[in-house]
Amino acid sequence: MVSTPRERKWQMVVDADRCTGCQACVIACQAENNIPINSESHFQQKRAFTWIRIERYWEGEFPEVKARFIPFLCQHCDNAPCEPVCPVFATYHNNEGLNVQVYNRCVGTRFCQNNCPYHARYFNFWEPVWPETLRNALNPDVTVRGRGIMEKCTFCVQRIRRGEQDAKREGRDVRDGEFQPACAQACPANVLIFGDVRDPQSRIHEFLAKDRRFRLREELGTETNVIYLSKLDLEAKEVAGHA
Amino acid sequence: MRTTRRKFLKWSSVGALGAVVFGGCTIPESALLVQSPVRMPEDLVSGLEAWYATSCGQCGAGEGIIVRVIEGRAIKIEGNPDHPVSRGKSVAMCQAGLQSLYNPARLRAPMKLTGSRGSGQYQEITWEEAYAEVVDSLRSADPARVALMTEPLRGTLGMMAGKFMEAYGGQHLGYEALERTTLKAAVQQVFGAERLPDFDIDHSDYILSFGADFLSSWLSPTRYNRGYGEFRQGGNERGTLIQVESRFSMTAANADKWVFVRPGREGEVAVSIAYVLMTEYAGAIDAAAANALTGGQGATVLGTFTPEAVAQTSGVSAERIRELAKALAEHPNSIVLGGGSAGATSNGLSNLKAIYSLNHLIGSVGRSGGVVFNPASPLGDLPAEGKAGPFEEWQGLADRMRGGQVQVAMVHGANPAYGLPTAVGFEEALNGAGKIISFSSFMDETTRWADLILPDHVYLESWGDDVPEPGPGYQVVTFQQPVVRPLYRTRAFGDSLLAVAKELGSSVAAALPWATMKEAVQETALKLQALARGSVQSGDARSFWNAVLQRGGWWDLDAKGERPAEGPPALPTNAVEPRFEGPTSGASFFLVPFVSNSLGDGKGANLPWLQAAPDPVTTVVWHTWVELSMSKAQELGIKEGDELEIEGAGGRRIVAKAYLHPGVSPDVVCIPTGQGHTHYGDFLVGPDVSRFQNGVGTGRGPNVFAPLAAAKVEGSGALAWAANRVSIRKTGNSGRLAKLEGPVFPDFHDVEAYWPIRKPESSH
Repeated sequence: MVSTPRERKWQMVVDADRCTGCQACVIACQAENNIPINSESHFQQKRAFTWIRIERYWEGEFPEVKARFIPFLCQHCDNAPCEPVCPVFATYHNNEGLNVQVYNRCVGTRFCQNNCPYHARYFNFWEPVWPETLRNALNPDVTVRGRGIMEKCTFCVQRIRRGEQDAKREGRDVRDGEFQPACAQACPANVLIFGDVRDPQSRIHEFLAKDRRFRLREELGTETNVIYLSKLDLEAKEVAGHA
Repeated sequence: MRTTRRKFLKWSSVGALGAVVFGGCTIPESALLVQSPVRMPEDLVSGLEAWYATSCGQCGAGEGIIVRVIEGRAIKIEGNPDHPVSRGKSVAMCQAGLQSLYNPARLRAPMKLTGSRGSGQYQEITWEEAYAEVVDSLRSADPARVALMTEPLRGTLGMMAGKFMEAYGGQHLGYEALERTTLKAAVQQVFGAERLPDFDIDHSDYILSFGADFLSSWLSPTRYNRGYGEFRQGGNERGTLIQVESRFSMTAANADKWVFVRPGREGEVAVSIAYVLMTEYAGAIDAAAANALTGGQGATVLGTFTPEAVAQTSGVSAERIRELAKALAEHPNSIVLGGGSAGATSNGLSNLKAIYSLNHLIGSVGRSGGVVFNPASPLGDLPAEGKAGPFEEWQGLADRMRGGQVQVAMVHGANPAYGLPTAVGFEEALNGAGKIISFSSFMDETTRWADLILPDHVYLESWGDDVPEPGPGYQVVTFQQPVVRPLYRTRAFGDSLLAVAKELGSSVAAALPWATMKEAVQETALKLQALARGSVQSGDARSFWNAVLQRGGWWDLDAKGERPAEGPPALPTNAVEPRFEGPTSGASFFLVPFVSNSLGDGKGANLPWLQAAPDPVTTVVWHTWVELSMSKAQELGIKEGDELEIEGAGGRRIVAKAYLHPGVSPDVVCIPTGQGHTHYGDFLVGPDVSRFQNGVGTGRGPNVFAPLAAAKVEGSGALAWAANRVSIRKTGNSGRLAKLEGPVFPDFHDVEAYWPIRKPESSH
């Protein structure tokens, strides 16, 4: 493992007010992280997964209907409910605030999945298969997970590691915005902002300071590292920042 | 804007990727499948990535992308951070381009039909044989009876195809399944603009959109999603978005308010808003524009469009119309957009003209946060607009083919056999052509009738350039370079055109003097260099060429479009009634087709990532579905997943599963485009257990274009795809709809339990 010159803590801000639900993050993640192709049958069995998904919620009835989009991904909890239940220490917390899954320790008990309040962990029910030629597009930086293994969002740890190595080789500290997870990189509406909160110059602080901030299921005390900014609506009852 | 990846962009040397056209079949196909380790390009280092800038060929907007290449394989597509349209961003369609490159169903070599047409029996031939056959056909044919059908071509390839057909003498017809003909006509008539403008929503504070699903697939999705983020949470006050549409689209889902309007009535609502603006907010609007719009006679000539009268026909309440007019008058940076189904009813052109005319009243023409015009192409002979023939011209071509008046039909990048309604009878008409030559990369519905197939490279293997349409308000040329070696024995369409032209000789050869497509693109670059302005300038041709490839293009921020001088034409003084085709009795509904967010007009249907990308609003995947109002479904006893038979004009039917939708009016059904391919190259994906696998491309529900009536938009000749009424009937079969939402994830109806929605602190 790369030694880190200073403590880092990666966080992501998700601005729900910008999200259009366009699925760019979903496909970008799938391309970057070698996520198996979800066939129709996967969806019908509710076993389709992508590490980031856009949930859509309905409100109201015709004609006063509204839909709400919110991207869901692993929340990288500091108090992660998935970690203590793993009997083989396949999931643990690293020193950069990432909730990490060690694929070759995983024996597939799925306890972590059961304990995750965000439905952010996924089980490989089948051996992933790509048609021969499509395999050419697999990312060599990312392991293909076999059948019986849990997987989930890694904040694109391969990009973090590559960035850290580049910085180390050049004898400097990593620069803010030098690398981003694939989802944040792709997102055309700039919903996702990724950064190191221990870096006082990081752009993420500007977003973390907003009064629209909240965490998903904050009452559980999971101390997530994904921070949301609430969707705004002219007809909502509560005013932002006065919750 | 951060340009964090710029440092990774490597320019491609001639040695690395120059050898695009392989000399015949001397290299065995297996050696081309991946980079052979003994033929490594010189800039290739094992384990190191290279990023190449090129142009995206997925959605037709002409965005710049960068592609990550490791050991000769394209691994990831991202937006080009330097490019004015993408600015480092991308949408799902751009990302999925890799699956187009590595698609198992790609055509791998030139082929000649050996069986009867449509039998699928082909024999591989050499490129020389293929060219000889094309040349023979063209020589023996009467040029007036030769047709070239392409996608709307721009840039050097557009120029070449145009010159080829001009010199040869045949007909060149552009094809768009989702025509922009009506929109272009409206923009031309209302603004006097020759090109599609850029809508600067980034700096707007109020967007009133009639049917334009600009967050999904309309015109330039990356650009408008990017603009939307800024519009909501950029530097300025949070903007307000109102969507007036017959369908609850993705843009409606993101709007502050969705206003349902009866299909075809959008124009009336727009004129009514104009009427209210003129009568109640005369001080806040442009008086000269008001004068022009009423023909100098004052608002009274629009007296038939009082909010009360329009409320009767449109279903939009009079209070709402007044409210929209008030908001337009009060916001200093408002903008009005129109498109989608609003421009696809029989009165679509009239609707769009009324809608865009509002921009004159509110003074948003030619200003920041409003309608920004695009300049002409930087080079006289480099087309900046992709020309597409309207539906009526396609009907004409089909009739000529049916009558045996077309001796040679050539097709590239267009699939009219899929996108034209079956009422046109295009497939049968195509068979009337003496010889059908296809340059498609895939065995699609049109190519399957071909006598000769000369498969094109996909865009990641080709040289080229493109002019983004619509542009960003200044001159841009995107450059395209191959990022990987061609995988198969295919050749770029441009190179095929050149080879055929050379053989044909005389004026055709003289019109296309280049040896290769690359050379033609280089000449375009040289002409740009000679302009000595813009983002890349150099006295040296080679360094200019390298620089435009490295940056992905050339643009000149100062070469802006100018506001045309003309004022708007007068608004109609009486409503132009929409006409609908199809059954009106019994359980009859308006059919509002809509463009799939991931599959677009059907081009993306063979890419498993896009098939499995949930529709943003319904979360349905892999299938065509029918959106039906919840109350109507209850009344008719329809449950989700029930198969419905949709019958349109002339008794043409399709069968698709029902999705019960809270955002659908009881008198409307909505069906997405994109599925229903019968031929698009089938292959299987999914776990290696047959019952969990499914085919990609074909057999995925019906094609919504098929049952449409051959109705036209008055004045533009485009297909009026939203001018249909249909009846629905349960077939008695039912199945499970494949979708993301469902019991595994939290209750999708109880939003407040999971996350808060807040009112903005300051709002109008």
